[in-house]
Amino acid sequence: MATFSLLVTANPHSSQGQFSAIQFAKTVTSQGHTLKRVFFYADGVLVASRLNCPPSDEYNLTKTWAKLAIEHDFELVACVTVAMKRGITNAAEAERNALTGDNLDPAFEISGLGQLTEAMLESDRLVTFG
Amino acid sequence: MRKRLSIIFNKAPYGTQSGRELLDIALMAAAFDMDISALFIEDGVYQLLDNQQPDILHMKNHSSTFKALELYGIETALVSEDALIHRRLSQGQLLPVAQPAKQNELQSIIAQSDFVFML
Repeated sequence: MATFSLLVTANPHSSQGQFSAIQFAKTVTSQGHTLKRVFFYADGVLVASRLNCPPSDEYNLTKTWAKLAIEHDFELVACVTVAMKRGITNAAEAERNALTGDNLDPAFEISGLGQLTEAMLESDRLVTFG
Repeated sequence: MRKRLSIIFNKAPYGTQSGRELLDIALMAAAFDMDISALFIEDGVYQLLDNQQPDILHMKNHSSTFKALELYGIETALVSEDALIHRRLSQGQLLPVAQPAKQNELQSIIAQSDFVFML
């Protein structure tokens, strides 16, 4: 059994990569492999907003990631630099930057690119979904 | 054993943020003492053009950071000779940070990598 991490850069609103990443995460965990971390970078971080509100008959990527991560005990980490640029923030960063609110979904965390490098060092495979 | 990483730049700068975002990955991984190769292929060779003026577009110029690759311990930086020829570019127009390389050299570096990044 292998340890996997994922790098997700796909824009959740305009491309398909996040959907494929979720299918891959489901398959990896169902086959008994370990999924250590899903790292969101570039436009991929947009999925971390708890204010994402797709029509009710469409797939909610944010909630699906949150549910999967809790079920299978893996981490959802969004890169802080690109997240802040795109208006994705937690309460601490909002306060530090004097923003009026925060929107990070509680299943996600915001951290640095070091978390991506560490995921590489501790995983057998890193798979990118762009 | 040190893990080997290839970072492939294949897009021109400023039209997308991918060059800058890859550069950030490269520098962070270098801080973790990984064996990193920066490869410039296809339109990625434009990342290395000297005298870029993205400030006209009010965009940040990240090209000077390429000069810091060596300082960060990124030993291998290669630019595709074929890509330069196809775009009628010469080494003299580029920042002096990458060595020209043939397609098979680039392929063999990618084949020997534990991880490959391209955004």
